[in-house]
Amino acid sequence: MVVPAVLIFFVFHTVPVLQGVFYSFTDSPGYGPFELVGLRNYVALFGDPRVLHAYWFTFLIAGVSTVAVNVVSLTIAVWLNSRIAWRTTLRGIYFVPNILAILIVGYIFNYLFSNSLPALGERLGIGRLSTSLLTDSSTAWLGIVILAVWQAAAFNIIIYIAGLQTVPVDLYEASAIDGASPWRQFRSITFPMIAGFFTINMVLSLKSFLQIFDHIVALTGGGPGTDTESVALLIYKGGFQGGEYGYQSANSVVFFVVIVTLSIVQLRFLQKRETSV
Amino acid sequence: MLPRRNPPRRVITLLAVALLLAAGLSACAGDGRTTITFFQFKGEAQEYFRTLAARFEAQNPDVRVVVDNPADPETALRTRLVKNDVPDVMTLNGNGTFGEFASARIFRDLTGDPVLEGVNRSYLDVIATLGRGGPGEVNGVPFAANASGLLYNVDLFEEHGVAVPRTFSELIAAARTFRDAGVTPFYGMLADSWTAQSPLAPLSAQLQPDDFFEQRFRDGTTFARGWASTAAQLARLFEYTQPDPLSKGYEDGTAAFARGESAMLLLGSYAVPQIRFGKPDFTIGSMALPATEDPARTTLVSGVDVVLAASRQGDHPAEVDRFLRFLMRRPVMEEYCRAQVAVPTLEGLSNDDPALAGVSEYIESGRIVGFTDHQFIPAIPLGPLLQSFLISGDERAFLRDLDEDWDKVAARRTWGLGAVIA
Repeated sequence: MVVPAVLIFFVFHTVPVLQGVFYSFTDSPGYGPFELVGLRNYVALFGDPRVLHAYWFTFLIAGVSTVAVNVVSLTIAVWLNSRIAWRTTLRGIYFVPNILAILIVGYIFNYLFSNSLPALGERLGIGRLSTSLLTDSSTAWLGIVILAVWQAAAFNIIIYIAGLQTVPVDLYEASAIDGASPWRQFRSITFPMIAGFFTINMVLSLKSFLQIFDHIVALTGGGPGTDTESVALLIYKGGFQGGEYGYQSANSVVFFVVIVTLSIVQLRFLQKRETSV
Repeated sequence: MLPRRNPPRRVITLLAVALLLAAGLSACAGDGRTTITFFQFKGEAQEYFRTLAARFEAQNPDVRVVVDNPADPETALRTRLVKNDVPDVMTLNGNGTFGEFASARIFRDLTGDPVLEGVNRSYLDVIATLGRGGPGEVNGVPFAANASGLLYNVDLFEEHGVAVPRTFSELIAAARTFRDAGVTPFYGMLADSWTAQSPLAPLSAQLQPDDFFEQRFRDGTTFARGWASTAAQLARLFEYTQPDPLSKGYEDGTAAFARGESAMLLLGSYAVPQIRFGKPDFTIGSMALPATEDPARTTLVSGVDVVLAASRQGDHPAEVDRFLRFLMRRPVMEEYCRAQVAVPTLEGLSNDDPALAGVSEYIESGRIVGFTDHQFIPAIPLGPLLQSFLISGDERAFLRDLDEDWDKVAARRTWGLGAVIA
C-alpha cells in the first residue's frame, strides 16, 4: 500500500505545490493568457506595504495568541486534573469549542462584540466599551485574539490533561512530605515533567495561528481598511478576488518558507530547553 | 507474514466499484438533453432566473439548464475559471471584474450577432470601455441598467418642507435641516466598504477633469490632483451620518431607511428591491446626486447592472444562442426590470416605477456617465481605502494611498490595466 499512498500524496500535494511555485514566476490572474516575469513578483512583495503589514499583523496575532492560549489551557488543564466535582462532565464541556466551526462561532462573537458588549458598556457608563471593539483598528486585533484563544484552548487542554496524567503521583506525595507549596510543586515537578507536551502545544499553536483566516473573515473581514489582514487572508483576497494569482502565489511561497523556518527554529529551541530542565 | 497476494485483487474490486459508480452518476444526466450551465450572480433575482430557466426548458425540451447561483459570485466564478470550467452562459455585473475577464478572452465575441439588435448603443459603449477581448469586440449583452444617485424618503421631505436639492450646497443644507430636526440625513453603512463607492462615483464623475482616467492610465495625472474636491465633498456628506456608521452594513442601512429612520440613502436604484423587502410605508424617491453649484452640469451615473455573456470556448454554442435570445426578448426584460426596479436596455422600453421617476429625464435625454469606480481593477483596494478615509477623515493620506496603490499594481502587472480604456 506504500506505492499508492506515495502516488496520491504526489498527485494531490506535491504537484499543486510545484504548480504554485511555477505560477509565482508569472503574471497570471489564474486564467487566460500569461507571461513569465522572472523574480519580479518577489521583488514587488518586499516593497509592498500592504504585504509587509499583513506579515507584521500575522506575527502579532500568532505571538500573542500562542502565549495566551498556552497560559489559559495549562491553567484550566491543571484545574481539570485536580480533584473536583463533575470532572468528566467539565472536561467534555471545555472540549466543545474545538468541534464548532470557527466561522459560525465567529459570527456569534461578531454579534457579541458589535452589539452586546457596546450595550453593556453603555449601561455601565464605560465610554471605552460603548463602541464596537472591531471597528477600531487599535482594538480589532484583541477581538480576533479572544476568539482564537477561546477556540484553540479546547484542543490544547486535552493535550495538557494527557500530559498531566503521565506525571507519577508519588512525586507529589514525596514533595508534600518535604512541605512544598502547590506553586513550588507546579514549578519543580509538573512543568518539567510535561515539557514535551508544552513543546508540542507551542509549535502546533504557533503554526496554526500563523495561518489564521476564518476568525478574521467572520469578525472584521480584514477591516477597518486593510488593518487586520493576515497573510492567509491577503493571499485569498489578492489571489482569488483581486485577480493577482501569480503575485499572491509568490507571497504564499514566501509564507511557506517563513512558517517552516519558524517551526524548525522553535522546535530546536524548545527541545533544547526540555533536556536542560 | 501472510503472502501478499490479496491486495491487487482488492484494488481491482475497488476500482471496478468506483467505475460503476461513476458510470451510474453520469447516466443520471444522460436523458438525451443537452446540458448548459447558467451562472447567475444576482442573489436578489435568484428565483426569477430559476423560473425563467424552467420556462425555457419547457419550450426547448432538448435542453437542460443548470442554474448556479453561489454566494460571493465573483470569487466563485474566478475559482471556476482557474479550473478552466467556464459556465456556458453567465450574468455578471458590468464592472471592472467583467472588463478583466473580457480582456482575458473568457467571453465570446458577439459582434454582429442578432441578439444585439435593438440594444441601446450607449450601454454597449459602457461595457466596451470596461475591457474587451480584442479591438472592436462585443463581449456581452447589456440586459439591465441601473441609476446611481441617491434615494430619499418622499414623505419626510414633504413633512420638513425640503425641496429636492439641485446643487451641492442645497444638498448639504437639506442634510442640515434633517439633522436639526433629529432625523438622520444619510445612513452610513461603512461595514460594507463598497457602499461608500456609490456616492463616490457621481461626485468624481462630475468633479474630475473630463479625460481623467485616460490620463491616469498614461500616468499623466494623479488622484491627488484630479480627485481632491471629490474626496473633500465625500467627507462632507459623511459628516451627516448617524454616529458609528462603521458598525452598520448594507442590510442595516436599507432596513433602517425602510423604517423611515433616515431621510436619504447614498445608494442607487439597485437598492430599491432590498428596501421594499422591509415594507416601507412611504414613496421612495430618487435623484441624481448634484456635485457642483450648477444644476446644468449634474449628470446621472448609470451602469450596466446585469450583462449576459457566453463562454468563448463553450461546447454548445447553438443552445447558448437560443437561451440568450430567449433572455433578451422584450417581455422577459420588461418583467425583470419591473421586478428589480432596473432600467431596460432595449430601445423603446422604459420603466415607470415611481422610484425611478426622479432620474428618468436624465436617462431619456442621455445625460448619463458610467461608474468611475469600475475603472479600478479589484487588486486596488478602493473599498478598504475609502473606509479608512471616511473614519479618519485624512484626505491627503487617502489620495496618496490611492496613487501609491494604483502605481504599485500597474508596476507589477503587464496586462489588464489600460486595456480597460483601450
